[in-house]
Amino acid sequence: MSFEKIARNIHASLWNEASEKLVDIVLNSQNASKMPSDLAKTILYYWQRNQLATEGGLQHLLEASMSLEPEKTVNLMEELGLPQVVAMLKETVKY
Amino acid sequence: MIEFGIELVPRDLYWKTTFYAIQAEKLGFDYLWITDHFNNRNVYVSLAIISAYTEKIKFGPGVTNPYLVHPVVTAQAIATLNEIAPGRVVCGIGVGDKTTLQMVNIEQVKPLATIRESVHIIREVSSGKTLEFQGEIFKIRGGRLNFKVTNPIPIFIGAQGPKMLALAAEVGDGVLINASHPKDVESAMKFIKEGAEIAGKKLEELNIAAYTSFSIASDYDAAFKAVVPVIAFIVAGCPETILERHGVPIELANKIRDAIVRGKFKDAFSNINRSMVEAFSVCGTPDMCIEKIDRLVKAGVNQIVAGSPIGPNMRKSINMIATEIFPHFKGEE
Repeated sequence: MSFEKIARNIHASLWNEASEKLVDIVLNSQNASKMPSDLAKTILYYWQRNQLATEGGLQHLLEASMSLEPEKTVNLMEELGLPQVVAMLKETVKY
Repeated sequence: MIEFGIELVPRDLYWKTTFYAIQAEKLGFDYLWITDHFNNRNVYVSLAIISAYTEKIKFGPGVTNPYLVHPVVTAQAIATLNEIAPGRVVCGIGVGDKTTLQMVNIEQVKPLATIRESVHIIREVSSGKTLEFQGEIFKIRGGRLNFKVTNPIPIFIGAQGPKMLALAAEVGDGVLINASHPKDVESAMKFIKEGAEIAGKKLEELNIAAYTSFSIASDYDAAFKAVVPVIAFIVAGCPETILERHGVPIELANKIRDAIVRGKFKDAFSNINRSMVEAFSVCGTPDMCIEKIDRLVKAGVNQIVAGSPIGPNMRKSINMIATEIFPHFKGEE
């Protein structure tokens, strides 16, 4: 399951809230050092261009967040009322 | 117009530092200062990546030191950065952190001569000149860069003591006063005026910054808790004259220093009280920070640098500075 497909299931009305909360998870993660450098640079690229709260931005934030904090990421999607996204995220890892 | 700078410490992962740098630029910070300690990530590598992700904010080492980095290397580094981000590069230089330098057996010998000569070398070499220089500390025989620099790079000098403050005003384009309290800034301004007079400069020509320890949060206790470790290290390394100015008992400062040296950080931190935090930081709720910054500005600075720790949550605290504090000093932009 690609993160591109998963991000498509987040409604535009939730993009801002989801991106803000995913950024918090990523920045405050105890596992931040596990962030792949290429992914970090992609996120910086989107951040510089104010595009984190877009489908593309969320795709990369979800990927980062799942690689650092899978449980918190899934919980956040549950809080946002996105059961389909939760199911898809669980498929990406042996959760 | 008051300008605002932010200090980021590349102890953090490069992408986090860069993330906060982008955030600071978006929110209207004027300057970004990256600390230079050999045991953190390299300052110029950090600045290079930041330069690629930002477009307006001025940035530079805050501060490098000539004991560990020869001034020609500093000149080379800032000139290279200036090629990537023309007109945005500044260079902060000072005598460095004693504790870090001691780790590599370097003594801060003849600090005034070392800084005076370093500033001259950096300025000349980064201007593309060929330098012949016979100083007390440095000797340069025909040193020059093999590439052109298109604009002068302002040099800021980090200073705390009277003679260094005067020197900073005399030879620097800016002064980074290592102080967070109006009393310390008022005291510093006397020496800055003296230095400016020696050079025949008007005070208005200088960018004078209070390089503060800063901690902002909506809750005072959260801001206090975040700043305590920084204050412990400041008190431990503070000259007695400054401790006395703020009524901090010397014995207590010694106790804190001993605890740090022994690695008993909890003991050291438990001795930090509210009056120490008031003396050595801008700390508290937005209103409390505004009140303190107002006094710093009245004391004579035209740039406020929000230095470590910034706050209990870096991202939120940077946002809070921009949304709650900037309007008070910069107006609605």
